[in-house]
Amino acid sequence: MAEMWISMGPQHPMTHGLWTLKVKVDGETVVDTEPDLGYIHRGVEKICESRDFTQITTYCDRLCYASANTWSHSYIYAVEDLLEVEVPERAEYIRLIAVELQRIASHLMWLGAYGPDIGNLSVMVWCLREREMMMDLLQELGGSRMHYNFPRVGGVKRDLPHGFAQRTRAKVSLFLNRIQEYEALFDESTIFLIRTQGVGYSKPEEMVNHGVTGPNLRAGGVNYDIRTAHPYSVYSELDWEPPVERPSIKGADCYDRYRIRVEEMRVSAMMVLEALDKIPRGADTYHEPGDPAILAKAPSRSPEGASGFHHFEDSRGESMFYLAGGGEGRGKMPYRVSIRSPMFITIPYASKCMVGYKVADIPAIMGSFDPCIGETDR
Amino acid sequence: MELGKVVPTSNQKSAAETMASALSSMDGVEAVVSERKNGTSPRNIVSVDCSSENWRHLAVCMKVEHGIDYCSMITGIHWPEGSPDKNWEVIYHFMRMGVTDPPVVDGMVQPIVKDPSKLEGKDIPLEVEVRIALPETREPTVASVQDIWVGADWNEKETWDLVGIDFEGHEGMRRVLQPHETPVGFHPLQKQHKLRYHDFEEMYDDVQGFLRKPSDTGKIK
Repeated sequence: MAEMWISMGPQHPMTHGLWTLKVKVDGETVVDTEPDLGYIHRGVEKICESRDFTQITTYCDRLCYASANTWSHSYIYAVEDLLEVEVPERAEYIRLIAVELQRIASHLMWLGAYGPDIGNLSVMVWCLREREMMMDLLQELGGSRMHYNFPRVGGVKRDLPHGFAQRTRAKVSLFLNRIQEYEALFDESTIFLIRTQGVGYSKPEEMVNHGVTGPNLRAGGVNYDIRTAHPYSVYSELDWEPPVERPSIKGADCYDRYRIRVEEMRVSAMMVLEALDKIPRGADTYHEPGDPAILAKAPSRSPEGASGFHHFEDSRGESMFYLAGGGEGRGKMPYRVSIRSPMFITIPYASKCMVGYKVADIPAIMGSFDPCIGETDR
Repeated sequence: MELGKVVPTSNQKSAAETMASALSSMDGVEAVVSERKNGTSPRNIVSVDCSSENWRHLAVCMKVEHGIDYCSMITGIHWPEGSPDKNWEVIYHFMRMGVTDPPVVDGMVQPIVKDPSKLEGKDIPLEVEVRIALPETREPTVASVQDIWVGADWNEKETWDLVGIDFEGHEGMRRVLQPHETPVGFHPLQKQHKLRYHDFEEMYDDVQGFLRKPSDTGKIK
């Protein structure tokens, strides 16, 4: 049969955003693919060059609507590297709680979107129900529903509110029970298993060479995690291990990538509970905003020639900011901001994973890599 | 109880020192260990300055002899006010992950679960930063490493698209974030393109562009 190119997107349920996947098909079989990105390129890197260091946090929140907190934290760690700020330990614990709650919310958003991708509509409502609990908790911390603007250079915006620990323990414990409901819904659904098992194989060494990290890599049977390999924050003080999946002989398939995210939600939930117990001065103490216990003093200018960067474990892989100091207004603004988006690198790889499978497998494979176009296009 | 199995800073430091001294012996390469103290835990990274002629040679050596298996990010910077030998800069960020495919025993894959606190030798994760300064030129070019780390592929495309630094030997270079019909030679992160000019904040003062001054006509935004 003659081969031909078809365009999936920019408006297609598979894309989870706005981009085009050009697929070369031979009958029903995918022969070649070519992703075409950039539909929502907003020029964040250029805009940041004329904003000062505190203003940029809000732009970073908006890089990914599903995982705003991890992105603003990723940026804040890079700024602290640039300005050489040491952060109070209590602030690091609060950040860890915020980031891990966001990771759960992000994975739930992914799971909720992945269900309809492959014909399981009810799971979306279930996942968004639990995501709402996490959003409520994050709203208590940050003040708004999706874009929290929570971290500050040198600490966090506000301390844990009164009663936050109690409500978090209740909601997270409830959530840990409800994970079992998703597992029942997915793992016992024949349709789900048929559509995810045995499609979209990927091997760890190949993934690392292609720049794929995070849950997608751990699904391949290696326990590489930036939180343990390049420890930052207070991850070294909690009792946890990154979850690992046992892949099939041909590599990790879509089902393994689903399993690893469910396990990650569990680990993150346990980390939040442990952090609430271990936080210095207790989770029930409240400090006013700006108190030295939660916010260290930080310089607002960076010298010429200084640079800062920080590898950060985002919910989709390794995110990173590179900042060159000494920009406009004698160092009040960065000279150059560069953003490493995990999905920008993963989407080309995921597109190559589809070669050899049927057109109907494309949504299952693409969805399992958790694409987010906001951060991809920046 | 043993908590938080993470890579100890001392191991990372000694591994970084070993690698820095090995790389420094190469021509046109200067490597030092730079200690970063932000957040709560210090990090030791291998910080390398390399000349553009020796870059390809260094890249192969890093991949083959030092096990740098992961290219994280490529950043291009335009320094128009900088010194004549550093008008452009390309900065690479690499990591050593030490990831291998898990073995198959009796038809079952055995996941590799390493204890990060007990890693040794070339398994110790490392961060590497490579900086390449380019002299004043209208066509900045460095060698491509697309064939060594496939992860560099789209990073190089993006760097060319936004900053205008070309990568010699890169196959399939094209616009990735900007529209395909963007004029040749337009790279928005070069410094002659400004968001603010004449003390005029376009974004806030004139969102829809009605107030563009006559003196602005012909200026590239």
